Amino acid sequence: MAIKLLLEKAHVQGIRTYEVYRREGGYTALEKALKELSPEAIVEELKKSGMRGRGGAGFPTGMKWSFIAKPEGVPRHLVCNADESEPGTFKDRYLMEFLPHLLIEGLIISSFALGSNATYIYIRGEYAWIPDILEEAIREAKAAGFLGNNILGTGFDCEIYVQRGAGAYICGEETALIESLEGKRGNPRIKPPFPAIKGVWDRPTVVNNVETLAALVPIIKMGGEEYAKIGIGRSTGTKLISACGNINKPGVYEIDMTISVEEFIYSDEYCGGIPNGKRLKACIPGGSSVPILPANLLLKTTKGETRYMNYESLSDGGFATGSMMGSGGFIVLDEDQCIVKHTYTLARFYRHESCGQCSPCREGTGWMEKILKNIETGKGKMSDIDLLWDIQRKIEGNTICPLGDAAAWPVAAAIRHFRDEFEWHITNPQEAQIRNFGLAHYADPIHIPVTEHSKSI
Amino acid sequence: MSEQQLFKVTIDNITIEVPAGTSILEAARKIGGEVAPPAMCFYSKLKGSGGKCRTCLVEVSKGSEKDPRPMPKLVASCRTTVMDGMEVKNITSPKVIDARAGVVEFLLLNHPLDCPICDQAGECHLQDLSYEHGKEGTRYEFQRRTFKKHDLGPYIQLHMTRCIMCFRCVFTADQLTENRVHGVLDRGDHAEIATFIEKSLDNDFIGNVIDVCPVGALTDKTFRFKNRVWFLKPMDAHRDCPKCSGKVTLWNRGEEVFRVTARKDEWGEVEDWICNECRFEKKHSNDWVIEGPREISRHSVISQGHYLDAVKPTETFLAVNDGRAPHLLLDIHTESDVNKPEIELSLINGPAHSNNFNSK
Repeated sequence: MAIKLLLEKAHVQGIRTYEVYRREGGYTALEKALKELSPEAIVEELKKSGMRGRGGAGFPTGMKWSFIAKPEGVPRHLVCNADESEPGTFKDRYLMEFLPHLLIEGLIISSFALGSNATYIYIRGEYAWIPDILEEAIREAKAAGFLGNNILGTGFDCEIYVQRGAGAYICGEETALIESLEGKRGNPRIKPPFPAIKGVWDRPTVVNNVETLAALVPIIKMGGEEYAKIGIGRSTGTKLISACGNINKPGVYEIDMTISVEEFIYSDEYCGGIPNGKRLKACIPGGSSVPILPANLLLKTTKGETRYMNYESLSDGGFATGSMMGSGGFIVLDEDQCIVKHTYTLARFYRHESCGQCSPCREGTGWMEKILKNIETGKGKMSDIDLLWDIQRKIEGNTICPLGDAAAWPVAAAIRHFRDEFEWHITNPQEAQIRNFGLAHYADPIHIPVTEHSKSI
Repeated sequence: MSEQQLFKVTIDNITIEVPAGTSILEAARKIGGEVAPPAMCFYSKLKGSGGKCRTCLVEVSKGSEKDPRPMPKLVASCRTTVMDGMEVKNITSPKVIDARAGVVEFLLLNHPLDCPICDQAGECHLQDLSYEHGKEGTRYEFQRRTFKKHDLGPYIQLHMTRCIMCFRCVFTADQLTENRVHGVLDRGDHAEIATFIEKSLDNDFIGNVIDVCPVGALTDKTFRFKNRVWFLKPMDAHRDCPKCSGKVTLWNRGEEVFRVTARKDEWGEVEDWICNECRFEKKHSNDWVIEGPREISRHSVISQGHYLDAVKPTETFLAVNDGRAPHLLLDIHTESDVNKPEIELSLINGPAHSNNFNSK
């Protein structure tokens, strides 16, 4: 049984209420933080823990916090990014829905560490029922004296506000989120200046993912060094994975990043294998924007090593043969799934969610969608594949925010690994309307050349 | 640190010193010529503009003297400030050329290319951009997008299909007028410039959106289909205007004033904003004090009218011969049959050789 830090108490009856949460040892980390630790010490603990941002990019949170500017007389803000809109990702929703107090506790600790007296939770509009849960939790925490003025007699004031978004994927990008929070159109800002210098209302701001902020609670409870012992290498602590697709047990799982991908998919403790005896074809290990991997590259790296569920192992091989941990949206595709249709669906999503501010993303996402639709409906041409490749190449890296990259990567990876499926769709347009390409060779073991030299290493 | 701290920046191997806080684009414009990246959305007179069109992407091959690491991605030169010792590659970087060609293709993807009926043709930045940085032909095989038409009142004509979403008109309305009534609706490739409820744009100074629009999306309704800009003669003129500087360019044909615009500098940017009255109401020569012809870049199609410095051609022979008359004059028609219509050209022998003359 793996270590559980965040979801340990998730199944306790009534854990959503303050009473039960407190009885189960809730808010003790907050008491420890406010009474025994200084803000600097909390940041220090966080640095020691080595925790990396859970929102997708995996940037070390302690380092991010140390960048925040502290000009005299200017308020600072902490914003919790609950605009979880990445297709396949629903871990924050689970956390907020069932353990709202864990997030609130983490938020108060973080606000204290960063000196934020007004902290915001920016939540996506589609999570229509969750703001009520959070607001109830905030009300309870305030009644218990953990929010408001002079918390626990430390002289620290803090209020938490829940702000609903209107349902835009782009508002999960931190600067677009800030714009939206200010009541403007959710267009990403041009960086620099970074939010740590000029964020909400031009004040220094830290924007963190829900899971990141909730993880502050176990880090403070056990201490940064203890936390860093869980996991492996630079992937410390536990990570929530939201698994979905063709698996027996979709849901949110907490893993300690030492298990293999194969274990995660087939173990009964986690996804429980693929239903109806089907075989694994492909998987997106970290949310829709990260590169899709065929079964053979997913389970083993090109060096022949087992691939593990952590930041380093999943990105082993770079984009050529690897992928990314991303936000932990684990999407499994079995042999009956069509990669072309899947890629088209994602392209349609990114086209719909592009903010339209910068040209490559605005025009390129729509173009890719149209070409993919043609291929999917049997009207594609062989030259379309190279054209798609060229379009994604011209979008990637040339846009204001990472949405351009996020739209380009899935298309690039699909063509890179599943080119023959695209070609089959084009050469057999009629057949492609009736049946799928199937598993083909995508699960075949990769030949790893062995030489005298490599043996000696 | 002194207030006027100078940073040394090298762009395409040309080094220049600029004050701290200058953007790469502005530094490059100081050098001028091809070194200056094209800019479709950046407008030095509008705060907050730039960064959107991505045509001004450049490669920073050396971050600064202190931190010589190159920047990992191409950066928008209009929104990146120079650092001391920075080295920038614009036209010397294949990556930049490639990315820029891509951006031009993206910008033209849904552009209707209706230049023959567009009032902006001849002074359109997108025309210049695609001519200089684009590729011929398009790989786009789908229907171009269209929009529901919006009427913006008696002064300004909106052609949304031509818009490239530079946001300049939004900034203009924000920064020059009392009240912005238009903006960007919707998002992604169906985003459009419009008023929320059908309204006309009639704030004072709103006419400047016509001048800042890099394409033909916002054009002067009072000039609509009246003439092509290259048939007109731009004249600098001014009047005593209580609201604005009153410094304008009149676009004449004969004595008739076809339209009034603000004066634009070599980067196509307005020198002084002008009010709606000057722009739309004063269309008689006697409303204005004419200063003289406006200088137009010789690369512009507008200058093909040769209205400026129009002098009679001098006698070529005398000019090239330092005033000496030619010793021998030949009439080409007596020497060659080339210009005679009845002669079949293919029957004429090839070029003459020295042998042909020796045999005589």
